[in-house]
Amino acid sequence: MTDRRETWLLLAPGLLLLALGFLLPIARMLALSVDGPDGFTLSAFARFFQDGYYPSILWRTVWLASIITAICAVIGFPMAYIMARCNPTLRLWLVMLVILPLMTSVVIRTFGWMVLLSRSGLVSRTIRDMGFGGRSFQLMQTETAIVIGMVQVLLPFMVLSLMGVIGRLDPRLEEAARTMGCTFLGTMRSVVLPLAVPGLVAGSLLVFTLAASSFVTPSLLGGARLEVLAGAVYKNVTQTLDWNFAAAQATILFAGIALILVPYLRLGGNRHG
Amino acid sequence: MVKAVPLWLRAAAVVFLLLLATFLLAPLVVVVGVSVSESQFVVFPPQGFTLRWYENALSSQAYVDAFKLSGLLAILVTLSATIIGGAAAIGISRFRKPGGALETVFLSPLVLPSIIFAIGLLMLWSAVFGPTSFLTLWIAHTVVAIPYVVRTTLAVLAESDPFLEEAARTMGANRLQRLWFVTLPQCRPGLVAGAFFAFNISFDEAVLSLFLRTPRLTTLPVHIYGQLEFSPDPTVAAVSTLMILITIALMLVLDRTLGLTRFASA
Repeated sequence: MTDRRETWLLLAPGLLLLALGFLLPIARMLALSVDGPDGFTLSAFARFFQDGYYPSILWRTVWLASIITAICAVIGFPMAYIMARCNPTLRLWLVMLVILPLMTSVVIRTFGWMVLLSRSGLVSRTIRDMGFGGRSFQLMQTETAIVIGMVQVLLPFMVLSLMGVIGRLDPRLEEAARTMGCTFLGTMRSVVLPLAVPGLVAGSLLVFTLAASSFVTPSLLGGARLEVLAGAVYKNVTQTLDWNFAAAQATILFAGIALILVPYLRLGGNRHG
Repeated sequence: MVKAVPLWLRAAAVVFLLLLATFLLAPLVVVVGVSVSESQFVVFPPQGFTLRWYENALSSQAYVDAFKLSGLLAILVTLSATIIGGAAAIGISRFRKPGGALETVFLSPLVLPSIIFAIGLLMLWSAVFGPTSFLTLWIAHTVVAIPYVVRTTLAVLAESDPFLEEAARTMGANRLQRLWFVTLPQCRPGLVAGAFFAFNISFDEAVLSLFLRTPRLTTLPVHIYGQLEFSPDPTVAAVSTLMILITIALMLVLDRTLGLTRFASA
């Protein structure tokens, strides 16, 4: 046996599993989206765009994912910077703070938000007591609830992406900028931020993809009225059992995500998140 | 560097971190609070203290069955993902160029949202084998857990000394001996960390399990999801708290084996 043979022997079980258990199912899903009783058809896609209902779901999905990504970037950047530059003890605590929610089941985190945002929940009640909103004001089943819940779920991905990049920056670059008279915030803007762009882009693409394709948090916090694309897929698979239509919706989601993921993989995004 | 940060900004950073900690931990704290509250409704802040809901959960057949299913599944996924992913990582590391196409292939289940893969697997399985089974879930969870094992193992191997294996070879060790006595011990921290991640991924996974569920194939997260859709009660909170405790335990072990900070920036 040669070294080469041994290497491929080590890779074989994984490649086989990925081919049969990962690539083949995706191919099957794509095939089913254009499959009808008389062979090839685009009727499922035509149905998606024939009236305003599904395009509005698509639009809501993109819109919410954009807001969630923007908020994650704005909160994630300072957090990642602090984590990259603070002392090791504080860093360990902050890493735990970021990883604990990441490792907790999404179902449980969403449950926590359901309790806080419901009509009798702490957050909704506080907002009412402060005099905002009507007497029946609640955050549950609003787009705000979806955004709050999703930002908490996805912020860790953004922070970890950024921390990897900022941690590798040479602190002397910042010192050089400071000695030449730049203020701290000026250094942030003209030195750290431009150099952290790869991490910011990789993190944003990852967060956007995950936000656009999640349905557990949106369906529990947003309710049936505020449907998103992934939720529509789930409903079609489990309730209406219209698999061709579900496959077409998933294909639309897949196409959008593929457009985003190709540049992500080019950026070497697999090193982060 | 940090010395030169203006005072007001340092104060702002402290406030920022405190707010962020509150935001990130709030849902978890709330769930724990609800689970010990005496009220039979889901309320926070908790009223009084009781362990009644834990008793409730442990005496509920549905929860115990779901827990057994999730536990068995997670253990099997840990084994399969660690063996297959570990072997793959050793294979990938033998190629000169790191981060090549092979690595991208093995990490792709991590990047592609699992809903797309979930619906495809359900459709393929139904067409070829009929109703989904435990085996379907096992395969599905293994596929999404493998990238974690590959990544942690590759991170460890990247820092190892390639000449150790060469040395073993010149001293007459055969292939299996080199793999077993030289390569594998070097991988150990990465494999252990990857195994814990695999367990965590499988035990907490909801999307694949929701798509592949049958009445007899209901994992713990799926059962919780069902409860949340209809009638959240403090029993759900008790079960969720137990899952959070398992996660914290896994995280602490992970920090001991590989170092959390090291993994986080890997």
